[in-house]
Amino acid sequence: MSAMERLAVNRLRERLPLDGPTIDRFVERYGCPIIEGERATFLYRGDVDEVWVRHRVIGLPDPLPLKRIGDSDLWAVTTVLPEGSRVEYQIEIRKGEHYERFNDPLNPRLAHSPMGSSSVCAAIGYRVPEWAVFDPEAREGTLVEEQVRSKALRRDQPVQIYLPARFNRAQRYPLLVVHDGTDYLQFAAMKTVLDNLIHRLDIDPLVAVFVPPRDRLKEYPNHAPHARFIARELVPLLTERLPLVDTPEARCLMGSSFGGIAALSTAVRYPGFFGSLLLQSASLVFTDIGFDHGGGPAFDPVVKFVNRFREKPTAVVDRIFMSCGVYEPLITPNRSMVPVFRHTGMRVRYTESRDGHNWENWRDRLGDGLSWLFPGPQKFVYE
Amino acid sequence: MSTTILLGPQRFTTTVGSTVRSLDINGRIAMVNSGWEERESDDGELAGHLDGRGVNLRLHHRMLDVLGKDEQVAAAALAFRDRMDELRAFYGIRLQAAIDAVQAVSHRTSIHAVGPVAEEAAIEAVRDVDRWYAAQLDELYRAVRATAAPDENGTIGWHRGEIGAVLDEVEAVVIAGGNVRTLLWTLRFFDVTLRPEQTVVAWSAGAMALTDEVILFHDFSPQGVTAAEVHDRGLGRLPGIIALPHAKRRLHLDDRDRMSVLARRFAEHRLLLLDDGAVVRFPDGATDLPAGARVIDRAGHVSVVGAA
Repeated sequence: MSAMERLAVNRLRERLPLDGPTIDRFVERYGCPIIEGERATFLYRGDVDEVWVRHRVIGLPDPLPLKRIGDSDLWAVTTVLPEGSRVEYQIEIRKGEHYERFNDPLNPRLAHSPMGSSSVCAAIGYRVPEWAVFDPEAREGTLVEEQVRSKALRRDQPVQIYLPARFNRAQRYPLLVVHDGTDYLQFAAMKTVLDNLIHRLDIDPLVAVFVPPRDRLKEYPNHAPHARFIARELVPLLTERLPLVDTPEARCLMGSSFGGIAALSTAVRYPGFFGSLLLQSASLVFTDIGFDHGGGPAFDPVVKFVNRFREKPTAVVDRIFMSCGVYEPLITPNRSMVPVFRHTGMRVRYTESRDGHNWENWRDRLGDGLSWLFPGPQKFVYE
Repeated sequence: MSTTILLGPQRFTTTVGSTVRSLDINGRIAMVNSGWEERESDDGELAGHLDGRGVNLRLHHRMLDVLGKDEQVAAAALAFRDRMDELRAFYGIRLQAAIDAVQAVSHRTSIHAVGPVAEEAAIEAVRDVDRWYAAQLDELYRAVRATAAPDENGTIGWHRGEIGAVLDEVEAVVIAGGNVRTLLWTLRFFDVTLRPEQTVVAWSAGAMALTDEVILFHDFSPQGVTAAEVHDRGLGRLPGIIALPHAKRRLHLDDRDRMSVLARRFAEHRLLLLDDGAVVRFPDGATDLPAGARVIDRAGHVSVVGAA
């Protein structure tokens, strides 16, 4: 008997024809998706003409069609899903000329983002990091909402300032500037992550400022007023008001996707002012010849910026932590930029995950990134 | 001179109560647990082990009181910490490079016997970095003392008076673990001096604070400098010893090469392992390690003092 035949859905197929109660019991018992070893079986139940899984995983067919089991209303498809993988997906159906996309009605596990929600398929071996979950033992830092008057942006820019638990003006703290700050708080549980990592001594207590964009596609891909706001207005203001370590080594810019470009381009515009970058799935799209990058008009300024950097790479910070999911389209550009950054003399730590371009992937990588950039005081504590 | 006793960590194997009861102590016992920082006042369990005879010196609480009331002292403390942080950052860079060189040299194949000589020279280079750091730290302390003479009439003086009065009347002192940086800082901040005639029982960070050289170590720490780091001078009651609490949990004791480098780097000290259940007695002012104490020898083995 082969491995495929031992899958639950294949055992079900051996019992054709299927009646409603049999399918009910099957779905009730196994849920969806069914994870068996390194295989995932997606199910859909309904009177439709076609069903697909829409997942955006590079390397797998997208859309991934499901097949009807016998004459029943149960549809299924099995795909490989390596250990540790995590995939966000939706179900798409066709009924006559009518198409519809929605979260998997058989799967209660959801992930959220500014674009809405998706269903989550977690492979064997994937676990939400303990430090990403609220820990009642961890002392909580505080978030302070402020409006910062910006001449560069010609507006009042809202920010949220994170002060660590036991914040004390008799100490000094490093500063982390977070692009897409509101989304990091809402979709990557970043306050909980900071509270926990500080509590566990994995990172030094730090001050973080969470900055949301107003017009993201304009302000994040190498935008002079944005960079000026961060480097010449926001950081000096915070340094004046808070007990911050006033050295480049203690200043870090972070961001994901376009936010990663915002972080990098700000550092490029103000070389030496920041000591480190934390780039998650940064949109480091470039072309080696011509300008046909395939990313659409929104990526034009990104590609111009990255191409220019690649022509004359320079060390703009001391250290860069980079992460990227192997299932996302940006994996190749991110891999390609690692040696470019390293060649300048910047120290680069690069990690990959079996995940996609999403907020929970970025949440799960925060432990590695922040503890490398802000090592905690474990060496000082001997209980 | 009286007795000093170093214990293993007290979290899972509590021996402080039985140890103190085994001593001929009738009077009160000072408790120093400022390494617990904001949990310093949660001392009920510790006081219970001392049969209600403990009096907490509350060094952390007192330090926060001084820093909150005396702007001059607070500014000086912040300036000192800034300079020490910067010194530690540069030390970490130099140390990591020197340790990397030891690793590279020790893994290079040597056909003509150059390898051992090169390795010894590489370890000497690490010692040189350690000496540089220690000298810079001494200089930093000298500069602080020269520029910011403590105001014995101010808040800090008042606290020092109270602490001194307690220490004058207690028969023994127990020093708990926690954050060794904070512990040492509070001891130094209030110029705490242990009386030679007092019995002292200490564990974990407290044990480290009694030595003359406090070494930070954590082979399993995910980030930062991978090697042990010189941190500060301790109270010096047990010179020539480097205390290594939680050694099993924090050191690659099975990695003989790594342990050998550690022992040879600090060749003038004995590397004392203080794991759960350890009780190491130094009676009558003795500072030599007693028989039965576990140490890391120059070959990188864990050996027992006095064992054949």
